[in-house]
Amino acid sequence: MSKEKFTLHPISAVINFVKVLKEMIVPLVVVIAVNGFGGGDSEGWTSYIIYIIYAVLLIAMLVSGIIKWKRFRYWFEEEELRIEYGLFVKKKRYIPFERIQSLNYTEGIFHRPFGLVKVKVETAGGGATKEADAELTAISKEAAEQIKKEMNLAKNKESEIDSIDLSFDSEEQVVEQIQPLFRMSQKDLLILASTSGGVGVFFSGLAVFVSQFSEVIPYETIYNEVIMFIRFGALLIALVVFFVLLVAWIVSVALTFINYYEFTIRVEDEEIIITRGLLEKKKITIPLSRIQGVRIVENPLRQLTGHATVIVDSAGGSLAEKDEKIRLIPLIKKDQINPILVQIFPNYEFGANFTRVPKRSRKFFYRLDFLWLIPVVAVVSYFFFPFGLFSLLLLPLSFLLGAWQHKTAGYWLDEKQLVVQYRLFSRVSLWMEKKRIQAMTERTTYFQKKAEVSSIITTIKSGVSGSAATIPHIEKADAEKLMEWYEPARIEPIEIEKEQPL
Amino acid sequence: MRQEPINRLSEKGLRVWRIYGIFQSIIALLLGVGVGVINYFTGQLIWLYIVDGVVILLFGYLLIYLFPKIRWTRWRYEVREQEIELQHGLFIVKRTLVPMVRVQHVDTEQGPILRKYDLSSITISTAATSHTIPALITTEADELRGRISVLARVAEDDV
Repeated sequence: MSKEKFTLHPISAVINFVKVLKEMIVPLVVVIAVNGFGGGDSEGWTSYIIYIIYAVLLIAMLVSGIIKWKRFRYWFEEEELRIEYGLFVKKKRYIPFERIQSLNYTEGIFHRPFGLVKVKVETAGGGATKEADAELTAISKEAAEQIKKEMNLAKNKESEIDSIDLSFDSEEQVVEQIQPLFRMSQKDLLILASTSGGVGVFFSGLAVFVSQFSEVIPYETIYNEVIMFIRFGALLIALVVFFVLLVAWIVSVALTFINYYEFTIRVEDEEIIITRGLLEKKKITIPLSRIQGVRIVENPLRQLTGHATVIVDSAGGSLAEKDEKIRLIPLIKKDQINPILVQIFPNYEFGANFTRVPKRSRKFFYRLDFLWLIPVVAVVSYFFFPFGLFSLLLLPLSFLLGAWQHKTAGYWLDEKQLVVQYRLFSRVSLWMEKKRIQAMTERTTYFQKKAEVSSIITTIKSGVSGSAATIPHIEKADAEKLMEWYEPARIEPIEIEKEQPL
Repeated sequence: MRQEPINRLSEKGLRVWRIYGIFQSIIALLLGVGVGVINYFTGQLIWLYIVDGVVILLFGYLLIYLFPKIRWTRWRYEVREQEIELQHGLFIVKRTLVPMVRVQHVDTEQGPILRKYDLSSITISTAATSHTIPALITTEADELRGRISVLARVAEDDV
């Protein structure tokens, strides 16, 4: 094991700088805007001082970027990845290789020209802070490969059982690149981009943006202008709204296109490797052993066109930036799902023969909604008298939704796995291995008891916490069957051995 | 029909819940008195005094007597070699199965009121969930904690 200490590529300094700049951009823009617009009443020399402060700040950021790069060292010692870093305070972090869950590679625009990658090291803990446990801002691809090699070396030394892994390893050396199991076609990418909920994302982004400004923007003047604007004519407003929506949609299409460009999935060394991205090529690695559940999500629109999304729940770490549900396949034709999933997850059985919910429990799907909808509708109808009556439409709508949910709900039980199907709006089918279910609860309300139905709640680990799935209002006998299935009393220790993933 | 879990909580737990109930009723009482005072200064409606009083009494009855009683009779638990089974719930009965292999750690905890009655609560955590048995005699809880952690250690499995 070499004790040579490695440094990052100098471009790291620039990346550090840009990163800090990115984080500062909103406050900076706000400050500049305030000075730009409200600058009229302040005296000349104060604005100069502010520009000097900007300049100093920028230089400080640049210098700190350089120092961060200069200070950063990493090396391998005693089967640990050790890093040393820190701007003012020198910090050291030792990460045992066996604790490392995954190495994620990202190639940003700065990395591409030099053949570099950013490596994120993730362990099971550390998820609480939503940060990777260690991040090597920019190293050469060979260096990244070396980390992986050192890690595999250490891991294989730890356990002899992984002999299968070793053979896989050598195979990989020869073949170098394993054929991707799935590659998203341009056509699917376009469909994904144009039907994605990215519009909502964009608007929430806009809302965040606006809220950043809320203290700065002189709302009163804006309000007055808006009143003027309204007088200008409703048509114009409609046009503007439409235009904004259109732009938002185009932006979201473009963003999705950039993010999911050349989306491929490969399976190597018991790890799923997802690569995607046009400007920033991202590589996400998910060890198969960390996967807790597989879900197929069909939103109503895509259900019509026969498309679906496949999402996996992964345990621990901060694998995905947003949450722990990783989009394994962003968009795929329904009939192509099974062949691919069977290859990725040999442990699962993907054919499904659902047991549906009994007819008499249909009322449970909409009754509760009525309970809170009726007063709401009453209040709305009363206060906005003629038009408020339209809210009455909510009642049949919620009834229909409930009936639809009732029709969709179901489960399928296999010896080793449980599949749950349910719908809020999108239809979700969730595959869970028995050994991944953390706890199972049978839930019976007073009314359910009278109707002899029960709900079953299963919890799997997802990210750092749990994710619960409910099988609603099934036959009491079926619920008890599920509980018995889950009860581990009959399992012999030998069988537990067998259930270990390869 | 599945068998109910056999163990019950300590009888003293019921007494503790009644004390909690008293605290909650005091809050209800204060609110009720507030309504009464407002009524005194504004309308002095007789029927409102009566409704107010009845509501306060009802709350007291429910929070101090009825709810703790139902909760206590409903609460059952059982720690078997391979799994832990819990049953609880006031309006909604929940029965939970936690396999030993999934147990990550066990904690016992004791607040001031519980300590006075020599009781402890015990919390069983898995990777994704946590389950609390609220009122056990301290020695019993400690013994149970030890037992669960031994049983959980026997069966190791990945996450």
